[in-house]
Amino acid sequence: MDFSLTEEQLMFKDQVLKFARNEIAPRVQEHEFKAEFDWDSWKKLGEFGILGLHFPEEFGGSGADVMTAVLAAEALGEAGVDGGLTLSYGAHTYLCADTIFSHGTEEQRRRYVPKLATGEWVGCMGLTEPGAGSDAAAIRTRAERKDGTWVLNGSKIFITNGSIADVAVIYAKTDPQAGHAGISAFIVEKGTPGFSVSRDLHKMGCRTSPTSELVFDQCVVPAENLLGQEGQGFMMSMQTVEWDRSTLLAPFLGATQFIIERCARYAQQREQFGRPIASFQAIKHKLADMKIFLEAARSLVYRIAWCKDQGRALNHLEAAVAKLFVGDWSLFPTNDAVTLHGGYGYCHEYDMERVFRDSRLAPIGGGTSEVQRLLISRLM
Amino acid sequence: MNFDWQTEENEIKKRVAALFDHPALTEIEAMEEAAPAGLKNLTRRYLGRLAEIGYLGLAIGPQARHEAMLLLAAQEETAQVSGSLFLTVETTARLFGGLIAGFGGPGLGREILEPLRAGQVIGAVALTEPGGTDSSSGRRTIGRAKNDGYLVSGTKGFVTNGLIADWLAVAGTVDHRPAFFLVQQGQTGLVLGPRLKTLGYHGLAVSALELTEVEVPSNLVLGPFDHDQALSLVRLVQDLILTIGSVGLAGRTLSAANQYARAYHRGDQPIFAHQEVRFKIADMVTLFQTAQLLTRRAVWFYSQGDREAEVLAACAKVFCAEAAEKIAALSLQIMAGRGYVSGNAVERGYREAKYAALAGTTSEVSRMNIADELLRRYPA
Repeated sequence: MDFSLTEEQLMFKDQVLKFARNEIAPRVQEHEFKAEFDWDSWKKLGEFGILGLHFPEEFGGSGADVMTAVLAAEALGEAGVDGGLTLSYGAHTYLCADTIFSHGTEEQRRRYVPKLATGEWVGCMGLTEPGAGSDAAAIRTRAERKDGTWVLNGSKIFITNGSIADVAVIYAKTDPQAGHAGISAFIVEKGTPGFSVSRDLHKMGCRTSPTSELVFDQCVVPAENLLGQEGQGFMMSMQTVEWDRSTLLAPFLGATQFIIERCARYAQQREQFGRPIASFQAIKHKLADMKIFLEAARSLVYRIAWCKDQGRALNHLEAAVAKLFVGDWSLFPTNDAVTLHGGYGYCHEYDMERVFRDSRLAPIGGGTSEVQRLLISRLM
Repeated sequence: MNFDWQTEENEIKKRVAALFDHPALTEIEAMEEAAPAGLKNLTRRYLGRLAEIGYLGLAIGPQARHEAMLLLAAQEETAQVSGSLFLTVETTARLFGGLIAGFGGPGLGREILEPLRAGQVIGAVALTEPGGTDSSSGRRTIGRAKNDGYLVSGTKGFVTNGLIADWLAVAGTVDHRPAFFLVQQGQTGLVLGPRLKTLGYHGLAVSALELTEVEVPSNLVLGPFDHDQALSLVRLVQDLILTIGSVGLAGRTLSAANQYARAYHRGDQPIFAHQEVRFKIADMVTLFQTAQLLTRRAVWFYSQGDREAEVLAACAKVFCAEAAEKIAALSLQIMAGRGYVSGNAVERGYREAKYAALAGTTSEVSRMNIADELLRRYPA
């Protein structure tokens, strides 16, 4: 066993941290308060190379390994980048662009991946529906062949980046009787007739990331926009779980490091009863618990990334354990961070309440904690 | 980075597992009821067997910390079998042996370490005093110079292996400087006992001891030191042992509860079929895997001599001790009345789990140490 990171990985993480602290974090409060997507930060992420980090250079990326991508995502959280922007990045790069890269034809790859890798285009992925969340086989959006095209009808909800996306990977039933095997994936471009965004949802946290409801009403998609083989959509969506349990969990690790630093510094500045609150045992214990969570969670997330780098098939038990632990336990440090800051923690300008709200997505998005428990008990 | 055990590590795992066949497990079970004389015989027998397979001599002392991962591979197996045996063996080899290897002269290597590595010596380390402190400034065990040695007087409590040890390393001071005095069982002025009745680990011989002008020649004194470096090492190693023991305990109780939940039927289905049971087991698996990985990471940093090892070891100890308690409590809840009856792994685990949180560095002090380190890193 070896838990070391390479010099290159550590250096790159440091570069991302500095970049994000200087260029992105100062813009967070303003956009988060207004719940608006920060296009300038998005552009900067693209220019820095983060949005396409793991793609080959010929597709606009830099060929980074998964561990490096995890460290970059962790560095964003550590710098104080909000969960909204990191969520948009995760959905764009890993749930949309990577699915096209991994399963698309050469033509599809060439058309979409370079523009997604640089951030010129924004991507989203649509699986969840009003009646189908954890139970993906229950989706009702239909795709039917007609005159050499596919016609999509149905709706999707809770779609990250939905209203700003130029390209969407949409899952629909091509064979309603076949359960999981009847699900196929399609690339749908913005402006396709019959494809519209009915509304954006107002959320508790991750507010800079648009969360949308998409409608498909006799939406005609060219036959060549079928992604992969017919009936393989569910398998393709499951393959994104590897990214979800590594790069999409990593910002929560970074956010914990962010609040540790903030809380440690604040506790030494803030005085009550004639001394810094850092001198009280109850405050120290909260700080320690944040660190304990961070180190425990790190090992789980890094393991998923390392296995993917080795080309191993995803260990679904280990992935569910990582998701369940980070999801449920990350709520404790963020809650403590608000308490430690007292009244200031409850106010917008101190970032703690934002991190607290952002963390509430962790046990919900990408598979609830209850579904992880179900999976673990089935797989063990 | 590499999350896999290597060939050599897998081999020692197999050798340890092979040692604990059914007759051995039955014999080790008897430790829990054994009087000191029987306990001493059993301990000697298993020290001998562990020496034969190359376990006992691994990673003894700070100079051999590079072997710590190989040792951990073996320790995980032993800790899973019996907490009492594991703590007895590790107290002898890594605590007592580690002190001699790290701070003793070459003569002690021949006299004590070589037979210890061969499984012929049982060791103990006496730290805690009735006043509760083990720091050198508060120690009341004192060595007064006389001829070519010292006369040592003092009192110690909670000495693991105290009653069965051939050699004891007793923490004390010489001219207010920290030192360890090596005394032998049966020496004039040394009174051991009575054996303490404890909540758990009934297979450990824990006792107080009293020294009244015990003669200790200079060659059997470690130190005196300018700083408490020997105590710091003992504490770090002891905390790692307790952490690994907690992971073993968690594995034992989880395994027993899982087997029970699948075998025990209510109505026409096993209780595992109920979400209330299987979700508890999923939470236990999550805690267990997280604890195991965090421990491996902490030990790896120790094996590298990395300065991050101390804070990681503290994080691991708190997390693993508390995870083991939670897992034992959930296991007992699953087994209900059958778990509450004495004589099963879960009932024993429930009693034993408390120990790691209060032995070595307590969870409270560990949290303070972690927080102090964070406050140093991130000043106001």
